[in-house]
Amino acid sequence: MTGNAVEIENVTLHFPKQRNALKMMMNMFRRKKDRFTALRNVSLTVKKGEVLGIIGKNGSGKSTLLRIISGIYPADEGSCKAAGSISLLAGLGTGFSGHQTGKENAILYGSILGHGEEIMVSKLPEIIEFSELDAFIDEPVRTYSSGMKARLGLAVASAIHPDILLIDEVLGVGDPQFKEKSKKRILDLVKSTGTVVLVSHSFGLMKEVCDRLVFIHKGKIVDVGEPDEIIKLYYETTGS
Amino acid sequence: MDLNTLNYELGFMSEDSSGPVLKEVGGRGVSWKSPLTNITVLFKHRFLVRNLVRKEIRGRYRNAMLGYTWTVLEPAMLASVYYFLFIMLAGNPDKMYPVWVILGVIVWSCFGKALQGTVSSLSRNGQTIHLVYFPRIIFPMTAMQGNIIISMMSCFVVLPIMLFYDLPVTIYLLYIPLSILMAGFLAIGLGMLVAPLNCIQRDVEHLFRFIVRAGFFLSPVMWTYEMALERGVFGEMVLYNPMVVPLTMARHGIAGESIGIPWAGILGSLGFGVVMWILGSYVFNRYEAGAVKHL
Repeated sequence: MTGNAVEIENVTLHFPKQRNALKMMMNMFRRKKDRFTALRNVSLTVKKGEVLGIIGKNGSGKSTLLRIISGIYPADEGSCKAAGSISLLAGLGTGFSGHQTGKENAILYGSILGHGEEIMVSKLPEIIEFSELDAFIDEPVRTYSSGMKARLGLAVASAIHPDILLIDEVLGVGDPQFKEKSKKRILDLVKSTGTVVLVSHSFGLMKEVCDRLVFIHKGKIVDVGEPDEIIKLYYETTGS
Repeated sequence: MDLNTLNYELGFMSEDSSGPVLKEVGGRGVSWKSPLTNITVLFKHRFLVRNLVRKEIRGRYRNAMLGYTWTVLEPAMLASVYYFLFIMLAGNPDKMYPVWVILGVIVWSCFGKALQGTVSSLSRNGQTIHLVYFPRIIFPMTAMQGNIIISMMSCFVVLPIMLFYDLPVTIYLLYIPLSILMAGFLAIGLGMLVAPLNCIQRDVEHLFRFIVRAGFFLSPVMWTYEMALERGVFGEMVLYNPMVVPLTMARHGIAGESIGIPWAGILGSLGFGVVMWILGSYVFNRYEAGAVKHL
C-alpha cells in the first residue's frame, strides 16, 4: 500500500491554565492569553505500513500528539487526517469499573475501545486466556492487583487489529514473565498492524522496531529520521 | 498479493477503494443537525451505550445485600418520613396521601438524579475521556438512561399499593412509566447545557445539588397540583414549573384518571424539554471538546 496513513498539518494545541473563574474571564479579554502550548505548529506524516517512534522528555507533548491523532483533543489550529480505524493503547487498566467482574469489564473496555458485540463475544475466550487471570476473571475488578488490571487491559486492547495503532508506553506491565509475553504480544500486533505510532522511553526497543523516529522537544518537532541519528540528537539536545 | 491489490494493478478499482481514505480525525463539532444526530449516535454505538448504562446501574447498588430491592425500599422509606412530617405540619390528609408522596418521590428522584448525573457526566469520566474518543454525548445520555431504568424498577412499588387500596388496572397506568421518561427528558437538556461548564468549574455541580434540593419543595412532591389549585392563584403559577406535569401524571395514572392539567400546561412542559434538548445539544457539542482539556 502506498500513501499516507496520518497527515498532521501545522497543529497547535493549547491547554488552559487557570482554574479560577475570575482569572479565566479576564483571560478572555486579554490579547496575550495565559496558557500552556503543548504542541506548536507540528507537521508530521505517517506512511502506510510504517512503524514510527516518538521520543522526547516527559511533558514534551508525545502523548498529546497521540491524543490528537486519536481524536481525543481536536487541534486548536491546523488539521489532522487519518485513514482507517485508529486504536490507542494507553493507561492500561484505568477506567475499569471496580465492582464488575473481570469478564464484564473486558466487554465494557472492549466496547469503550470501539469494538462491536460480535467481535467482543468471539474474542472473549482468547482475551481471558491471555490475561492469565484464571478464576479471578469472575471476581470483581476491585479485588485485582494493579498488575492484574494491566494484564486484563492489555489482553483486551491487543486483541483487535485496527488500521492504525497508537501505543503510549504500555510495554512492561506485570511480572517479568508477563512482561516478556506482553512485549511479544505487542510486537506481534505491531507486525500484523499496518501502521503503528509508538511512544516509548526504551530506546533499545525503538531501534529494533521503528522505521523512523521523531524527536519532540517542548512541543515542537526537532527532527525526523533514522533511529540512530535521532537518538544521538536526543542526547545532544537534552544532555545525557 | 491480495485481491484488492490485484484488482488495483489490473485497473479494476480506482485508487480510492484500495484502502481507507484520509479523513479528518474525530469529525465532531456543532452543526444545525446536532439535536438529531445526538439521538442517532446512540443507535450507532448501542453496544457501548448498553455496557455503560449497565456500569452506571451496577455502581449504584454495589456491595449491598438487598441490591436492587433498594430501588423500591428507598422511595417507600422516604415517603413514610415525609408522610409523618406532613401530618405533623398540616394535619389529617386524605387516605391516598402516602401514595401521592411515594410516586412524587420516585418521579422527582428520577429527575434529580438524572440531572445531577448528566451535569457531572463529563467530569466523572475523565479517565475514559482521555483514553479514547467516541461521541461525548454518550456520557450524559447513559447517565440519564441509567437513572430512568432505576426509577422504572422503583415503580414496582405500585403493585402492593394497588392491592392495598384496591385500585383498578386501567390504561392510565401507562402514565407512570411515561412520567419517568418525561422527568429524564426534562433533566438531560438542562444537564447537557451545563456539563461542559462543570468540567471547568465544579461549582456548577454544587449549585445543581442545591437546585435539586430546593426544587423538591417547590415542585409537587410533598404536595399535589390539586392542593395548589385550592389555593387559587397558586394553581396557575405552579404550571410554570415543568416538573408539575410528570409528577401529576404519575399520580393520576395510579388513580386511573386522565391527567387533569390544562393542555397549555402540558404543551408548555413538553416545549420546555424540547427547547432545552435543542439548546443543550448545541451548547454541549460546541463546548465539550474545549472543556475536557480542563479535566
